[in-house]
Amino acid sequence: MAAPRVRSLVFKLSLRLAGVGLVFLLVQLLAVVWMYVRNPNELDQLLLTAEAGRIAEEIPDLRQPGDPPIRDELAQALAPGTRRSFVVHDRAGWVLGQYQDGDLKIAPEAPMSFLVIRTQREIWGDRFLLSGTRRVTVDGQSYWITLAISGHGFEPFVPIIFNEIRFHVVFPLALLSVLFLLFNFSVVRSTLRPLARTITAIGEIDPARPSMRVEAPATTSEVQALIVAVNGMLARIEAAVQTVRDFAGNAAHELRTPLAVLTLGIDKLEPGPVQERLSAEVRAMRRLVDQMLDMAQADALAVDPASAVDLGTVARDVVADLTPLAIAEGRVLVFEDAGAPAIAGHAEALGRALRNLVDNALAHGPPGTAVTVTSGPGPVLTVRDQGPGIPKDQRQKVLERFVRLDRSGRGGAGLGFAIVRTIVAAHGGRVEIDDAPGGGALIRLVFDAGPGA
Amino acid sequence: MRLLLVEDNRALAGLIVDGLTEAGFVVDAVPGVEPAKDAVSVADYDLLLLDLGLPDGDGIDLVRFVRRRGCGCPILILTARGGLDDRVNGLDSGADDYLVKPFEMRELAARCRTLLRRPGASLGTTLTVGNLAFDSIARETTVDDRPLRLSPKEMNLLECLMRRVGHVVAKPSLEGALYAQSAEVTGNALEAVVSRLRRRLAESGAKVTVHTAHGIGYILTPAQPIPTQGPRS
Repeated sequence: MAAPRVRSLVFKLSLRLAGVGLVFLLVQLLAVVWMYVRNPNELDQLLLTAEAGRIAEEIPDLRQPGDPPIRDELAQALAPGTRRSFVVHDRAGWVLGQYQDGDLKIAPEAPMSFLVIRTQREIWGDRFLLSGTRRVTVDGQSYWITLAISGHGFEPFVPIIFNEIRFHVVFPLALLSVLFLLFNFSVVRSTLRPLARTITAIGEIDPARPSMRVEAPATTSEVQALIVAVNGMLARIEAAVQTVRDFAGNAAHELRTPLAVLTLGIDKLEPGPVQERLSAEVRAMRRLVDQMLDMAQADALAVDPASAVDLGTVARDVVADLTPLAIAEGRVLVFEDAGAPAIAGHAEALGRALRNLVDNALAHGPPGTAVTVTSGPGPVLTVRDQGPGIPKDQRQKVLERFVRLDRSGRGGAGLGFAIVRTIVAAHGGRVEIDDAPGGGALIRLVFDAGPGA
Repeated sequence: MRLLLVEDNRALAGLIVDGLTEAGFVVDAVPGVEPAKDAVSVADYDLLLLDLGLPDGDGIDLVRFVRRRGCGCPILILTARGGLDDRVNGLDSGADDYLVKPFEMRELAARCRTLLRRPGASLGTTLTVGNLAFDSIARETTVDDRPLRLSPKEMNLLECLMRRVGHVVAKPSLEGALYAQSAEVTGNALEAVVSRLRRRLAESGAKVTVHTAHGIGYILTPAQPIPTQGPRS
């Protein structure tokens, strides 16, 4: 199935308006034709005027001395299927030239007055005889042309109507149509511009920040309705995200306080295997609760693009915080500063991501081995351990939720890497898992260079 | 040392009071913001332990109330809120430390002791780690009550590490404590002092260890693994 072709609204509206313009053009044409057919006197006048106009063009030749003959061309009538005779008088009443077509004769008398302009129609059956006088001005001098045209039917008038339509309907309407189209196009485009601006504003919404709203000026109710609808949707999304955040907070309180009671209560039991087992169970549950809440918070994490977090400081603080744990577990934790820039980020969240990685590395390496945390070079945080490493085919899998490679570890829901990935992704970065040179896992958190880079 | 515990969960409050009393503190417990305000108005406490989610208000408001009254006593927040911004918000409001539930009694007691000997409130106290003790006024170090002779630099170094026992102390702050600003510090001057201090501590039989926090600084711990707050707190 082919995808439907997507056209712009401006194009569609312009096309339809152009179609409407075309229909109006046709209607106008038909109206004009109908008007002429209904009004033959008008056509008579036009035909006589047209013939007079053509004869007038020959007047300079007729004025030549020596009575030049009427040219053959001029002997032909303008209208098809008609015969035509004429007489040209000058102002003094002299006949300048004349043409008589057979028995269609005109008395060569000068018009009674300069002012006479007349048209007359006589009808015998379907035949007609038109006669009339036109005054023309050639080279500043006035002349009279007296005409007689005989013919039948409507056919002789067709060229006249055609001419009329050409000059008085098609040319002006074609010109108007072009203007109309240009006007349409610009009006449609300027009318739709707020829509385009709104679409741009919607496109600029950061999915990670559901508190954003579309703020485009609403000049029409439709655009306003669109903005209201999108903002309403954003409000619902924000409410959903807020619910997740609230859930994290509420669940924290609901689960952690009883866990605290359990922890302290078990502390007071007689030391022995029972107490140790309960204690281990509560620790595992505590990790589970911590991870699930961290995951919920990582999902709802919003990164302020204007913030600046120094990756070196984040790494240094995490290593300093976890050094006592490393010492207690007989491990060595090393920090190396290779020069990392500041990035836009959430310091606490980045710290938590790194903490999860270091914690994991401390849990899985053999005693006495080192875990090295490096910041930089560039916007990168690296955690290298000397443990068994992560098999190639498992690397993608460990980043998913609820996946644990080693079920004998310190417990947890298998969310550690997923939390890391989610936090890093919220910062526009990625997690890369590799083999460390000389064995062990090499995990890199790679971010985009920040404003300070 | 008199402590005020503000905690609405009765079972938890009972366990904390028992545990801290056993650790040598005197503890009053109240279940909400209003009784806590009454309590701090009539008595001077050396330390406030504060739950944030209380039935009659937010613990943060109580922190502000106490600080407005000009009380400089340390405040330790005990809370279930371990969110990304919660710790920062809690510390910004004027609290001194932040402990996320659940916690172990040893950890809570250690935090309380650390807060109570903070500089300002704690100058002149004797710092003790394992069998090692340091009197910061008399400038005397003892191991099992036997005097240990240290050079002034070694003593300053030990004091810095003992004040932050269990925590990493960064090299710059150690160098600042050891040398006057004008003095030239060579790259391994600090390492030399640390190495001498380690030797003397080992010779004297002190049950403490100065570990290297590679790339950051040093950390002093009892020879037995110290109670830690765990990988996340």
